[in-house]
Amino acid sequence: MPGDSVLYSERPEWSDIQPIAQYETVTPVAPIFYSDEYKDATGYFRAVVKANERSERVLQLTEHIIRLNPGHYSVWQYRWSTLLALGSSLEDELLLMDELATTYLKTYQVWHHRRLIITELGGKSNPARELRFIRQGLNVDSKNYHTWAYRQWLLAHFNEDALWEGELPFVEEMLDEDVRNNSAWHHRFFTVWQSGVRAGEEDREYTLNRELSYTKEKIALAPNNGSAWNYLRGVLDFTKTSYSTLRTFIEPYTAPRDESEPEVLDLDNPLPSKDAQLPCVAAIEFLAEIYESEVDNAKRAAELYRSLAEVHDKIREKYWNYRVGEALSSAGQVVAS
Amino acid sequence: MYAPTKTDNYPTQTSIDQAKVEQILAHHNPNYISPTLPNPHSPTSPTSPQTPQTPHSRPQRNEAKLNKQSHINFLARLLIQGFPDRYTSQDASQPWLIFWIVQGLSLLGVGLDAGNKQKIINTLLACQSPLGGFGGGPGQAPHLLTTYAAVCTLAIVGRPGPQGGWDQIDRKKLYAFFLSLKQPDGSTLVSPHSEVDVRGTYCLLVTSTLLDILTPPLSASTPSFIASCQTYEGGFASASQPYYSPYFKVRNESTLMSDPRPPLGEAHGGYTFCAVASWVMLAPLRPPSNPSSPPNPASNPQTSPSPRPEYPTSQFTPSQEEGPKINTRSLVRWLTSLQGSPLELGAFRGRTNKLVDGCYSWWVGGCFGVLEGLGIDGANFSHYSHSKAHASGGQGGQGEGEGKSEEDEWADDDDALFNKRALQEYILYAAQAPTGGLRDKPPKHADSYHTLYNLSGLSNAQHRVHPSAEVTELLEKNWVDTPPPSPASAPTSTPPSPPSKTEETEETFERPDIYLSKLPSESYEAWNARRKRIWMAASAWSEDESEGSVAYVGGSDNRVNASHPLFNLTITHSRGMLNHFYGQSFVVPS
Repeated sequence: MPGDSVLYSERPEWSDIQPIAQYETVTPVAPIFYSDEYKDATGYFRAVVKANERSERVLQLTEHIIRLNPGHYSVWQYRWSTLLALGSSLEDELLLMDELATTYLKTYQVWHHRRLIITELGGKSNPARELRFIRQGLNVDSKNYHTWAYRQWLLAHFNEDALWEGELPFVEEMLDEDVRNNSAWHHRFFTVWQSGVRAGEEDREYTLNRELSYTKEKIALAPNNGSAWNYLRGVLDFTKTSYSTLRTFIEPYTAPRDESEPEVLDLDNPLPSKDAQLPCVAAIEFLAEIYESEVDNAKRAAELYRSLAEVHDKIREKYWNYRVGEALSSAGQVVAS
Repeated sequence: MYAPTKTDNYPTQTSIDQAKVEQILAHHNPNYISPTLPNPHSPTSPTSPQTPQTPHSRPQRNEAKLNKQSHINFLARLLIQGFPDRYTSQDASQPWLIFWIVQGLSLLGVGLDAGNKQKIINTLLACQSPLGGFGGGPGQAPHLLTTYAAVCTLAIVGRPGPQGGWDQIDRKKLYAFFLSLKQPDGSTLVSPHSEVDVRGTYCLLVTSTLLDILTPPLSASTPSFIASCQTYEGGFASASQPYYSPYFKVRNESTLMSDPRPPLGEAHGGYTFCAVASWVMLAPLRPPSNPSSPPNPASNPQTSPSPRPEYPTSQFTPSQEEGPKINTRSLVRWLTSLQGSPLELGAFRGRTNKLVDGCYSWWVGGCFGVLEGLGIDGANFSHYSHSKAHASGGQGGQGEGEGKSEEDEWADDDDALFNKRALQEYILYAAQAPTGGLRDKPPKHADSYHTLYNLSGLSNAQHRVHPSAEVTELLEKNWVDTPPPSPASAPTSTPPSPPSKTEETEETFERPDIYLSKLPSESYEAWNARRKRIWMAASAWSEDESEGSVAYVGGSDNRVNASHPLFNLTITHSRGMLNHFYGQSFVVPS
């Protein structure tokens, strides 16, 4: 364990190795002041690499260094090729990774090493267990990039119906916890649209309608949520569905609530929640794009973009003015042609 | 003006974390006035009627000042004295530590003395692997990312000739190392047995561009890999699921998905910078247009036609005849969406619904500089907005009627697509650590990484750097072809590398392996034409010094040097290294 170990230079079982200093002939700039423990261990690591030694003690040494510095990719690489050379148990290695991935969640290497193990185990691996492990990791850090990317890789790599089956309920659980978790929204897009057609999802029209309903509902809950709007746009773009089809839904989000209007329950077009802070920038933008796609409505589109530039979203004034120009110039092109 | 992010009275972890950051940043905003503002650094209850601020807790108007000297001291101290024990986590990133310091100093206008330059050169050369490429430290495996850091640092401190660092880069082995990492889908491993992601693609393309080893085999299928990483949001993910199975012994081909190559991970600022810069660097490899033969889809990057394609655009149905495409409309929309509110002082976040961080001043803000390489800026339609009067003082964090010094007057007519003023305010007000160096956000400590990427972002927000048509013309005129080896003196294969010690005299020293990037099937004319395109495209980036293109919040004392949007090196350092490796001597007049 780090901190309480005897230096390798004092261990008789390592006496056959002459450690190699990091900088032998050069006085480096920007030196790091390593602990004696780290300096000692990496000196022996350089020596075993030079000797191309593959042994149990190399596995111990590399684990020791990884615990001191999990970002040392050369140590991971050497450990991996040593595991293969020795024919070591990859199941045991995976158990070690369970512990290390939890401690060093943000390190690239812990996730990549896991991927190497699972790939090598192939048919002997247990991807369902991996999905459960990932879920635990997300409890600690619900937006960890590597964790999500690993989950997506795992699903695509094995591509088994039994694994895919649980993904939609899983995403919904994540979004119920935090409807603003963009990683979860991306995972939904990955699962529903970008990884083939899942069993039971062959009716794409049905899938589209289900996704639109789900997203509308989430937008109604908390309208100022960029993740949900981006998902909505993603679905429409992917399925080549016109934005205009959502006009009825969008409009109540583009203006302050009209308290005098009696509320009409329309299940297809849920209204903003009572506490919604309207108007919603993303809805105004969406409506402007609907206008932009229509003949003769470029001026209305430009007006909406201008309202974003001048009133509702001034930080992006430059961008919204760019959109004003785009809308008006393409309208010009339509007239000219 | 300083409204908190709308939460629709529906709190989740994201909105709770967001509110905390907004509260902290309010204390760094000199224009934010609220008597009930709780101080997040003090234990005072938010409901306390007293104003918890001390007079020093908030910057004054005249504190829009870049504390250059304290940042220089911070960086110089790290370079000379080194890093404490906790930086052991960066032991595999030693060339990065040096790059962050040295490029940070370059942006601050500080050059190093010959003695320190030589020490840096020697340190980096000690990290060069016998296998080619540079590792995280001596004896470490070569890695694409540390190779970028080492080569770019050598662009700053190195020189031609013996011990100069440039001609000691073993380009022949480096090229072989790069080729060994290539995957069938156009991606590259970052190092043997390591992961694939677009950071690796970017680092490979920067170094091979600078060192004249960018070839069609090295970039084969790379455009389609990059395009496959774009997500529905418009930004790019780390990587995509390959269309091939890398482990046939484990899975057979039939298990590959029918819809290939989904992005792995969501749209992310860092990966997006790498992807878009890579896309731009690949453009000169596109063969000169020949209408009779369709271009090779795997090596022909294209963007959606400008100014706007048929609506709505989608990259999800790539037409194989036209080659891979990226959707620049959704990209620009997503990039601008990441700029924080006035309450967040206009800083950038790296993903939708995440927190702002000073380093995205470069990874996201810097993307707008890269987009100039695709001809995208606000200028296309600026006449629609320039005519109108700008009612409020600033566009970003400024309250109305704030007294501004003459020098601080904002022309407000720059053609940027993002709010350059606001971003500068974040960097000046919130990202500077009191004891020197810059940081993610208060109250965090400064570090060398955040110091460089805040300064780079500041540079990009102060200057407009773009591929200049005039400079391109000059470069075109002044390019000199590298002649084929004369039959008497030249060996049939490439000369040995590196030259042995006895040959290293000032008089006879020559660039090793000058024909390294020539393909066996390629004529010398075609080889020179390709190198010329790459050299011109990289060297043409110039600072636009016309009125309205340069603007310094807090006055011109805050100026930092302009940075090349593709490489993050100054223009001078970029061109110096390019000239050496392409055998050119033309110096663009300033």
